[in-house]
Amino acid sequence: MGSSAKKKKEKKKDFQKVKLKVGKTKPKAANSTDTSFKAKAIALKQQSLSTNAPTVEAQCAHQISLLNHKSDAQRRDSLAYLTTVISTHPPGSPLPQPASVIIPAIQRLVLDGSNSVRQQMLKLVQSLPKTDIASHTDSLLLHTRAGLTHLSTDIRTFALDMLEWLLSVAGDEVVSCAGGWAKTLKCFLSLLGWQTQVGDKWSAIRTYGRGASDAKVQAKQMNTLTTFLRAGLIQPTEIVAVGAGTSNFPLWQTEHHVLSERSSAFAHLNLYGATRDEEAEMYEDREDRQRVFHELAEGAIAAGIEQSTKGGGELGRAGAHLCKAMKEGMADFHRVDED
Amino acid sequence: MKRKLGALEKVDADLTSLQYKVRRDPPSYFEDHQQQYMQYQALRDLLLQNPSTSDDTGIVRLNDLIDFVAHTADCYPKATAQFSDDLIQILSLHHDELQADLRDKMVSSLVLLRNKDLIDSATLLNTLFPILVSTHSKTLRALLFQKIISDLRSSNIRSTNHRLNRTIQTVLFNLLTSDRDSTKGLWAVKITRELWKRQIWTDARAVDIIKEACLSENEKVITGGVRFFLGGDKEREEAADESSDDDIDMKTLRHQAGINKKTKKKARELKQAAATVKRKERKKNAPHPLNFSALHLLHDPQGFAETLFSRHVQNSKSKLSLESKLIVLQLVSRLVGLHKLTVISLYSYLLKFLTPRQNSVTSFLAILAQATHTLVPPDVLEPLIQKIANEFVSEASAQEVAAAGLNAIREICARQPLAMSDTLLQDLVMYRKSKDKGVQMAARGLLSLYREVGAELLKKRDRGKDATIALISGGTKEQRFGEEAAGEIQGIDLLEQWKTEERRKRREAAGLPADAATDEEDEEDEAENWKNWDVESDDSDDSGGWINVGSDSEDINISDSEDEKENGPAAKKAKLAKSETPRPGENGSKAHSEEPIQKQISKLLTSTILTPADLKQLRALQESAAVKSQMPSSKRAALLAARHADDAITAETIEAAAAIGKKSTKEEKLAMAKSDKEGKHQSTTAKRKEKKEAEGKSTTNKEKARKKNFLMTLGKAKGKNKRSLVDIKKTMRGHIERSKRGGKRGNRG
Repeated sequence: MGSSAKKKKEKKKDFQKVKLKVGKTKPKAANSTDTSFKAKAIALKQQSLSTNAPTVEAQCAHQISLLNHKSDAQRRDSLAYLTTVISTHPPGSPLPQPASVIIPAIQRLVLDGSNSVRQQMLKLVQSLPKTDIASHTDSLLLHTRAGLTHLSTDIRTFALDMLEWLLSVAGDEVVSCAGGWAKTLKCFLSLLGWQTQVGDKWSAIRTYGRGASDAKVQAKQMNTLTTFLRAGLIQPTEIVAVGAGTSNFPLWQTEHHVLSERSSAFAHLNLYGATRDEEAEMYEDREDRQRVFHELAEGAIAAGIEQSTKGGGELGRAGAHLCKAMKEGMADFHRVDED
Repeated sequence: MKRKLGALEKVDADLTSLQYKVRRDPPSYFEDHQQQYMQYQALRDLLLQNPSTSDDTGIVRLNDLIDFVAHTADCYPKATAQFSDDLIQILSLHHDELQADLRDKMVSSLVLLRNKDLIDSATLLNTLFPILVSTHSKTLRALLFQKIISDLRSSNIRSTNHRLNRTIQTVLFNLLTSDRDSTKGLWAVKITRELWKRQIWTDARAVDIIKEACLSENEKVITGGVRFFLGGDKEREEAADESSDDDIDMKTLRHQAGINKKTKKKARELKQAAATVKRKERKKNAPHPLNFSALHLLHDPQGFAETLFSRHVQNSKSKLSLESKLIVLQLVSRLVGLHKLTVISLYSYLLKFLTPRQNSVTSFLAILAQATHTLVPPDVLEPLIQKIANEFVSEASAQEVAAAGLNAIREICARQPLAMSDTLLQDLVMYRKSKDKGVQMAARGLLSLYREVGAELLKKRDRGKDATIALISGGTKEQRFGEEAAGEIQGIDLLEQWKTEERRKRREAAGLPADAATDEEDEEDEAENWKNWDVESDDSDDSGGWINVGSDSEDINISDSEDEKENGPAAKKAKLAKSETPRPGENGSKAHSEEPIQKQISKLLTSTILTPADLKQLRALQESAAVKSQMPSSKRAALLAARHADDAITAETIEAAAAIGKKSTKEEKLAMAKSDKEGKHQSTTAKRKEKKEAEGKSTTNKEKARKKNFLMTLGKAKGKNKRSLVDIKKTMRGHIERSKRGGKRGNRG
């Protein structure tokens, strides 16, 4: 009928092919969008034309800026570059970029998704001079703790390596910085699943997201915990000799009045930060740490050790080490308690 | 040998699946949740070291963790007790430095915690509100505003949460009073206005907040507050209308449910739709909530109007622009007109603006008209009217100007007729002979007004028939300043007449003398009336408009007043009955004034309380006496009555007269002609067809046959030609038989 013919024609009109003609501009499609724009200024992109090569300092700064590049390979390469530069530079001369610039830039990479980047990052921090690490312990420890509780098993294991290294370099600072003792202890307890209140369950609790190599990882965790406890609880063997030299004869107790050599010597006063609770507090004395350990973790760890030594094997060995460290550390605490 | 991995263990860093599992079985996933919570704490500590860092580097973002913890917080309320405090603290300390998406996530997580009832509304609002006021980010402000409004709405949805409302209102009030110079008060106005519009806040405290805003020092806040008073109620009405618009067609939904695939979701949807329809129906039948307008809820309007005027308008130090000053003036005049206030200095202030060259002078004229009421002294208004007449209404001035001037004078005099002198009036009335239509109409309006309210001021030949008769017979008495017409109910005389008639009939039936009705009998009647409170006469049907009130207490009250009748509580009753006080000169009784009896206040009115049945009878009597309502004067009165006392006079009212004479261009005429017809031209059949199609109805067989493709009909048509004569005869016979029977499925068997 008439109407249908008309409709057909209308329908056809939508899909009609536009004829192309030689010498004419190509007709625009119905749905074409005009993307041209006007700009007030034109920016010319040009490479720098300087003839002399960039200095090592500049190159290092550039590589540091590349550390949050989106590609894994680029991040790893930048780290590798920095590592070689730092490890090859002659001792005594200043680093091409100060550690206070490098460490804040690389510390986030503890949580990086790629394993190679993380490993390279560990190499880089290991190449840094030990004295520089000490002043950045608290922020490094924050990142490490974030790694310890991470959902990904790889990152969790890596964070153990990181903590191990950190303890070897600056053990005293790690255990005495704000939140360093109590929070890390809690962290370990939850990692190992040694909470005090879960004893009343029938079935053993299998935590979600733990891989097959559970025993191996747990052994590693226990070993790290041993190191951590040793750093926190056991008396440092060499006692700094109280300066009783006769050379500074009229000044008797100078060393008590000079500024402390530690970084941020007045951090315990907490002048500017938020108020701290029990967990976030700094525990600078060994006695304090013993007390907190006794309150927080001793029972849970003892129970955990008992369970793991029963199992024997690698876990048992790690448990024995841990037990020994704990006994050594808490040996004089009980005596204090009895008095 | 490598152990096979379970599906659970493969998924490693997946918070979504963990969240799902936690919600399914909280106790067994406590450990995992705890670990994630620690992770959140570690990342939070990192963030607090430098709040402005972005957190999108690692594979697990703080953003996701916050989301996870917020969604699972209700499973472990003890373990995550600190979470809400954390969020509140971070937000209130660092909201300006945080990354936008992290910040928004924190806000929405807080709201989520509120919805899960882990924190209460007051805490949430007390957190969000200071941020709303102080933040520099526009998007955050929009988000917070929306969240605040929706939270207040949801906590008021079941019943009004008075405590919460009061705390928030106090916060808003303090915000306004604490710093009068800053624009921060605008948020108080915005929130109040929004809640007023949604009818969540309808009380005097909300109005108090806006009142405080009007008295602030900041122009934006002032105009915001004033605009609320001028337009807030209209907005509320419109919003209420809109919300009831979208109705659901249950019939089609049921039909569709019968046809389409049956799923649980569709069944649920149908159920919900039925519930909404039911709710709406109930709402429609429920008694209308009595919402007072903001202007009526004002406490001390006189003081408010005076301070507004002296602080923002008269004060030479106030730096308001003309536009804002105008709307403040509009509010002042609305208040003066509505509450009959006395702000004498307002009129002398307006005097200097009444020249045709003044910017937006029609607004000033409208303000003046609005500020006029019966209690304004005429000698205050006289110079103003004189000035308008001198400046606007002259042969030399433009026609629009003259029309606007005349119209303004009419509007003023309609409210205070005493402000006019006879010479001026006679002068102005002469303009009805003007050539311009606008001026003509305006002058005629003035004339017809004074025929009703003060005919003696007009020349004899201008008075008209009705007014002259009334003057001669003395039916109209002069209205004097400050005089209030005694209260009455329209048609009460009719009711009285009817009642005496009824009584006489009854007495005749009882065989008593028809005329003398004793007092005792009267009272007896009354008692009877009260007994059958609802409807006195059996034949009148119940309209159902009355809601049954628990009438115990009321009954007692009424019987009290009956007892005290002799002590003369008449004044009180008169007040009760005065609710419909007619304006002076508005009673349409003038037409009836052939009988020169000064109308006494009806005895019925002063001695009894009308029962609903009485009122119904009254209405019926009024309707039967509708002859009177056909008179032009009463029509005009009805028109005036239709214009609500709350409605404002605007500049358009003043300008309307001038527009009458104006010649419109062709485009305007075309647009006007087109405006009343919607859409394209269509024949009635086409319209019917379209309607049918829209309703989804099927077509008739005839229509189908007509629409059938031509080629399909060809074969049959060809076949018809080749038939033998016998065949043709058969079909013809068949046709005749069918038509006799009444179609194929004939009704005769």
